[in-house]
Amino acid sequence: MAARPQFENHDQQEVKSTTCYMCACRCGIDVTLEGGEIRFIQGNPDHPVNKGVLCAKGNAGIMKQKSPAKLRQPMIRKAGTERGAGEFEPISWEDALELLTGRLRKIRATDPKRLAFFTGRDQMQALTGLWATQFGTINWAAHGGFCSVNMAAGGLYTTGQSFWEFGDPDWDHAKYFMMWGVAEDHASNPIKIGLEKLKSRGAKFVAINPVRTGYQAIADEWVGIRPGTDGLLALAFVHVLLKTENFDWDYLIRYTNSSQLVIDAPGTSSHGLMLRDEAGEILTHDMESDALVAWDAATRSDTARPSLFGEFESADGVRVKTVMTLVAEKYLSDDYAPAAVAERCGVEAVTIERLALEMAEVAFKESITIETPWTDWTGRRHERFIGRPVAMHAMRGVSAHSNGFQSCRAIHLVQMLLGAVDAPGSHLAKPPYPKHIAPPIKPAREMAPNTPLKSPPLGFPMGPEDLAIDADGKPLRIDKAYSWEAPIAAHGLMHMVITNAVNADPYEIDTLILFMANMGWNSSMNTGEVQEMLRMKDEHGDYRIPFIVTSDAFHSEMVNFSDLVLPDTTYLERFDTISMLDRPISEPHAACDAIRQPIVDIDRDVRSWQEVLIDIGTRLGFPALVKEDGSAKFTGYQDFITRWEKAPGIGFLAGWRGEDGESHMRGAPNTDQWQRYIDNGCFFEHKLPPEQRYYRFANRDYLAWAKSVGFNAEDGPIVMEIYSETLQKFRLAGQGIYDGPCPTDPEDRQRLIDHFDPLPDWYVPLEEQQVDNSTYRFHAVNQRPMFMYHSWDSQNAWLRQIMTKNYLYMNRARGVSMGIPDLSWVWVESHHGKIRCQIKLMEGCNPDTVWTWNAIGKQKGTWGLSKDAPESNEGFLMNHLISELLPADQGKSITNSDPVTGQAAWYDLKVAITLAAPGETGVWPVFEEVQPPPGQPTSPDVLRYHTHVAVNIERPFKDALTEGSLNSRRNQR
Amino acid sequence: MKLGLVIDLDTCVGCHACAVACKQWNASGTTGPLSDTDPYGAEPSGVWFNRIRNYEVDTHPDSKTVNVPMSCMHCEEAACVTVCPTGASWKREDGIVLVDQSKCMGCNLCAWACPYGARELDEESGVMKKCTLCVDRIDDQSLPESQRQPACVLTCPTSARLFGDFDDPDSEVSRAVAERGGVAQMPELGYAPVNRYLPPRDKPQVEVSDDTRAEAQSTGGAAGLIGKWMKRQRDAFDRLGSRDGGDA
Amino acid sequence: MHPALSVIFFTVTAGSGYGLLILLALARPLGLLPKISPDQIVFTGIFGLVLVTAGLLSSTLHLANPKNAWRSFTRFRTSWLSREAVFAVAFYPLSLAWLITEWATGNTFMSGLLGVLSAVLAVVVFVCTAMIYASLKTIRQWHSRLVPVLFVLLALVVGALLLMAMAAINDLPLGRLGMVTLVLVILAAVFKAMYFVNIGKPAGPTINSALNFTQASVRLLDVGHSGGTFHTREFGHQVARARLYWARILFFVLLCALPLLVLLLVFTSSSTTLFWVVLAAVSAYAGVFVERWLFFAEARHVVNLYHGAQQT
Ligand SMILES: Nc1nc2c(c(=O)[nH]1)N[C@H]1C(S)=C(S)[C@@H](COP(=O)(O)OP(=O)(O)OC[C@H]3O[C@@H](n4cnc5c(=O)[nH]c(N)nc54)[C@H](O)[C@@H]3O)O[C@H]1N2
Ligand SMILES: Nc1nc2c(c(=O)[nH]1)N[C@H]1C(S)=C(S)[C@@H](COP(=O)(O)OP(=O)(O)OC[C@H]3O[C@@H](n4cnc5c(=O)[nH]c(N)nc54)[C@H](O)[C@@H]3O)O[C@H]1N2
Ligand code: SF4
Ligand code: SF4
Ligand code: SF4
Ligand code: SF4
Ligand code: SF4
Ligand SMILES: [Mo]
Repeated sequence: MAARPQFENHDQQEVKSTTCYMCACRCGIDVTLEGGEIRFIQGNPDHPVNKGVLCAKGNAGIMKQKSPAKLRQPMIRKAGTERGAGEFEPISWEDALELLTGRLRKIRATDPKRLAFFTGRDQMQALTGLWATQFGTINWAAHGGFCSVNMAAGGLYTTGQSFWEFGDPDWDHAKYFMMWGVAEDHASNPIKIGLEKLKSRGAKFVAINPVRTGYQAIADEWVGIRPGTDGLLALAFVHVLLKTENFDWDYLIRYTNSSQLVIDAPGTSSHGLMLRDEAGEILTHDMESDALVAWDAATRSDTARPSLFGEFESADGVRVKTVMTLVAEKYLSDDYAPAAVAERCGVEAVTIERLALEMAEVAFKESITIETPWTDWTGRRHERFIGRPVAMHAMRGVSAHSNGFQSCRAIHLVQMLLGAVDAPGSHLAKPPYPKHIAPPIKPAREMAPNTPLKSPPLGFPMGPEDLAIDADGKPLRIDKAYSWEAPIAAHGLMHMVITNAVNADPYEIDTLILFMANMGWNSSMNTGEVQEMLRMKDEHGDYRIPFIVTSDAFHSEMVNFSDLVLPDTTYLERFDTISMLDRPISEPHAACDAIRQPIVDIDRDVRSWQEVLIDIGTRLGFPALVKEDGSAKFTGYQDFITRWEKAPGIGFLAGWRGEDGESHMRGAPNTDQWQRYIDNGCFFEHKLPPEQRYYRFANRDYLAWAKSVGFNAEDGPIVMEIYSETLQKFRLAGQGIYDGPCPTDPEDRQRLIDHFDPLPDWYVPLEEQQVDNSTYRFHAVNQRPMFMYHSWDSQNAWLRQIMTKNYLYMNRARGVSMGIPDLSWVWVESHHGKIRCQIKLMEGCNPDTVWTWNAIGKQKGTWGLSKDAPESNEGFLMNHLISELLPADQGKSITNSDPVTGQAAWYDLKVAITLAAPGETGVWPVFEEVQPPPGQPTSPDVLRYHTHVAVNIERPFKDALTEGSLNSRRNQR
Repeated sequence: MKLGLVIDLDTCVGCHACAVACKQWNASGTTGPLSDTDPYGAEPSGVWFNRIRNYEVDTHPDSKTVNVPMSCMHCEEAACVTVCPTGASWKREDGIVLVDQSKCMGCNLCAWACPYGARELDEESGVMKKCTLCVDRIDDQSLPESQRQPACVLTCPTSARLFGDFDDPDSEVSRAVAERGGVAQMPELGYAPVNRYLPPRDKPQVEVSDDTRAEAQSTGGAAGLIGKWMKRQRDAFDRLGSRDGGDA
Repeated sequence: MHPALSVIFFTVTAGSGYGLLILLALARPLGLLPKISPDQIVFTGIFGLVLVTAGLLSSTLHLANPKNAWRSFTRFRTSWLSREAVFAVAFYPLSLAWLITEWATGNTFMSGLLGVLSAVLAVVVFVCTAMIYASLKTIRQWHSRLVPVLFVLLALVVGALLLMAMAAINDLPLGRLGMVTLVLVILAAVFKAMYFVNIGKPAGPTINSALNFTQASVRLLDVGHSGGTFHTREFGHQVARARLYWARILFFVLLCALPLLVLLLVFTSSSTTLFWVVLAAVSAYAGVFVERWLFFAEARHVVNLYHGAQQT
């Protein structure tokens, strides 16, 4: 073989690691640099999240860095021009920050809630939340309210862990995996890695999804469910499991509240609450002593035998039932029989029954064990972990419905009956989860000028008394989170901020700061009108939202509607932390956090939002950031991260703490911490010892450790709540008989009665309840394309080659029966609006469902794209059809969200589809063209990206001249 | 040697990671750059060596979606090589089919001869380009052994791509093909493609036992069942101190 | 396949040139134009070479990197394109030698021999050209024995009519040329008709066989790129059925019907009317042009199966 050329001059290359941020999965990457340019980005093989692999987005980081849409300098809306006209002029950082702090100082000194600070797809909520707390405004939240709070809250109020990013299926042991409504999710690479593991082990993978693409493509069984009916399907599973006596007695009694006693006194204020003794301990019935005893004490006693079923009477004559009795009473009803739900769900009854039985078979007949002794919270030693190898994962197909919270609880109920939460082979929590139900943080309510909040703005209400409402029951927050409209809005309702602020409902605000959220486009429902609202003025000619500040890295649609634009760095240009105080990157068996470090030099006048927040906070004199004398405590973001402590020894980064850098998880600040992270590939991983890896809700060693490192406030057991007393309290409030705040508005009361069933429940999604379903026949949902992240990847020259426009997909047979040919243009109409788009017929689609890829459509002129770019002429957003308010004319405008959590109900959308007239082609509506910001370079016509001159492999001329057929060469070999 | 790829259609989710990794690596690779025209305009189009397509097999509700990545098959009877008039296209001893960029005249004939759409003309460079099997990774002795793999293989999140020597019966690729019945695409054309596709696996079946299936017998509906369970719960659940969820 | 104008022009024009040169060389030996003079041979031969050269030059227009065109002589062993190039170049000295000899020595054995050798080489060159297409297994419409036959036949038809035009200009009496032309036209029409029948039969791989899913229907869901690629531009070219149909009719009219009418005219009237013969030659040339356009437009590369075509 001829000598090989030297392809790369490795001496002139440098490899630096950091954390990917082409999406929120946060994979570890190794970036090879050559002459200051990026040669190659690859997965870090040692990284706990991605183990060396990278997705399409991550692989396209070079083109994100090359995007012509990068903002270049701070900008202010030109005096005298209208908001939305997109006329900006450059402003220096100093002037911009002075201008902003001047305004904020006034707000903070008078009425801090007039600042609303909302953040989108960020991963620094710990920092932004701290900032808002220090500022003293409760009007802060991140994007969870429009994203997946139903999954987060559904889990945290039920099992103490959850789907979304807080847990993972046990890919290594599961034998049966059921995936509900997931196209991609945050664990983008881990899910793919996991699915391959499952498949190579011969585990069965069932996908419940109206559409068969992506993950569902490789599912062993596809259940093409009708959108919005997952909760019902799950409860039908429950019905079958109960009917066939397939539930884990032992697990239910030990780890859930199924043997706890619920008061049965209809019409009284204690109805449905747990029976407690004087000490406040919840009671259970012990068969051995035939007495009502404290559940906690009973579970610690070796001799007690709690009744799972039964009706009892307390000494003072209160009638009670065990939770499990209520479960059986409710779900054994024929309403939940497979045959009764089949049509509604679009799944055959025999299939429903078979799936339930298959899960039971695998859970109970194919149980597994991990031969590791462990100790439970009572101190009992167990020789091994018993596993029910049925795992589940669910996401926005369940959460983006107005019944998502309860549907999510219904899925958790199936898991609990099977004994399949945090057991080997099932769904595993990722530290810092599991947490106690609910995590003991109450939403902040009180604000005072120039004073930090006493607790963070977001928390977990345990009853009506924890709501953020005033004495009249009016919402305290601008997004009306924690009001009667959305009592358990644990992540806020970002999608309501603009509408509410413009309507001064509940009040006016002064300044809206948006960070990393494209609220002028794909992240708002009702995009067209939201753009109008952003421009809307009052009778004095002043903007309804007086001042809008946007931190973005790119020329997004939202930038156009801002008064002040603070340009951020890209993910390859900044220091950043992915903290355990925040959204974890942990794996089930390891607590992990990570950092970013600058990989390439900044070539524009931009600053990282992290630095800017610290800077502004210091200028405003936040107690956490300034000393007594008003001087800065920290030299900047890095110094802040290193030295700030939430509690003694606990800070943003858990690794290499202590002066010598040898204390992990907890320890004194270490000035060398950043470097230690960099030396370790920019991540930290604390692997849990084998005995702490399962049953963590009841695992003494784990619970003790979790408390010691600040994950949980106490080390008692985390008792899973099949029955939610919290929900029942709200229901009592709805009935007007709660011992505490009750709503007065009949609408509010009815909503609580209808949707706050303390047991997992299902109801028809709200929009579907209110529109004419014979007109709006189709469900309309979205999927995320695996190769693009929301709005921000259309600027990516490589990724957009894969998709520049989207179709509306429809079941082929249904399309044919309606006379809708493939690729025809159609009008899609909802109760709220209409759009025109192009149909594509396909097989793997529920017949009552149409769908499209999310966020492909763009406003003309944004994102560095030419005005004839397909994204703005052939791509469309479904958002125009989705109203942020429910259709019913109830006099009062009610958010189009889950009535429990306020989760935006994107996928409740119902539409009518009609063929467009001949000649009606192209998407509609098309929005007016946006001007490029000052200084934006013209986008190149040709890209020939490379970092060095290619080293060609020369075929020897002689060979070219003389070589005969291929066969002859092969025969020589 | 007979180097090539195995692609697992049972696990490929169609994520395009391999396609973009390929684009990324090869942009500065031995045949780079891979030009992109109109990158921010109406018709963005560029040179890619690996493209992913999705198909639907059968009709609703029995349809299956199959994701099929395709790149050069490094055919043993590579007509793309034999038709090439300039000698730019060639097949190395290890089986890799390459285009010597300095010899190509951009006549497209090799692309016409390729049944698999593996060759793309770089209109800006005027020469034909194609998958090099990442020869500049697998041949680069200064890379650690684990890195001497094609970019697409290293990046694939579902491990649906394997690289190796099909002449070696013990290689990972040969074993995978033998175990899973790997097939070639359009063998009837006689190109003897080296790359193999692993067909979707047989679906795992869960046999539900009679015991699991058996419905609880009771009269009186839910109340009857609950009554029965109340009576039976002594047997169903022993003392909390016993068994302990672990010690049989 | 995308019908590249430069390639169509090349094969049609160079083909006409070769056709003309072949028949010119055989004009005396076969008695096509028994009275043809050496000057007329030389003059017509130069015209033929101009056609060939124009065609060859045009063929380089579709090269993306013509500076490496010289390398196309290197792969004579396996590449028909390389062979074409080598023979096409070799044709020049041989044909020039023939014409010079003809010019210098007139009707001699040597000039006759060189002429026949040139004719043989011209056939070889053009068969090589045809084989570039006919050897491709990827395009079943091309992968046919009829292709080289048709390439040569059509070249000869145009060549024959050009030669007739030459005869008409010079008022040369037609020997067997008229008859030979008639036969060529009829053969071309018959073979092309056979070709159309052949490619009309379903054959070759289908989307099912290409993807190894043969038990059920297969449909493309997403091709993986919203916009065009090299492959869609090169292979994805689709022409409406109706246009193809009319193009076929046009071909038969231009290449067969009109020339046959003219030939009839020629046979019935004693003198050859220049205008009609030139018209026939131009018509045939246009007919071949249409044929060659169809040759591309009707060719379906197998790669289209992966892009969603159900069959080729
Ligand atoms: N590549 C990429 N990855 C991303 C993102 C991205 O934009 N791009 N975004 C990130 C964000 S912010 C989020 S929130 C996650 C979301 O991740 P996913 O939860 O995967 O979100 P969606 O893409 O909305 O997928 C929803 C899926 O549910 C299905 N579905 C819709 N309605 C129903 C229903 O009623 N029942 C069932 N069973 N299924 C239904 C849809 O067909 C779709 O497959 O992804 C994150 N990861
Ligand atoms: N119809 C429909 N609408 C939806 C959804 C749906 O499924 N269907 N999904 C919803 C969900 S779950 C979510 S999470 C939202 C997405 O919510 P968003 O967070 O609004 O989504 P992105 O489009 O990712 O926009 C984020 C903004 O961040 C900017 N950005 C990117 N990188 C940086 C950076 O490094 N720094 C700064 N400062 N800015 C940066 C981008 O330019 C962009 O303007 O969309 C929601 N909207
Ligand atoms: S999933 Fe992809 S985009 Fe997201 S962090 Fe990982 S590599 Fe980056
Ligand atoms: S990276 Fe792997 S899973 Fe993704 S498309 Fe390529 S082969 Fe398929
Ligand atoms: S796949 Fe195409 S380019 Fe690759 S060796 Fe085979 S014929 Fe040649
Ligand atoms: S395009 Fe280049 S490599 Fe392909 S056949 Fe022509 S000269 Fe050879
Ligand atoms: S082997 Fe290399 S060149 Fe070939 S498809 Fe994979 S990444 Fe691309
Ligand atoms: Mo989200």
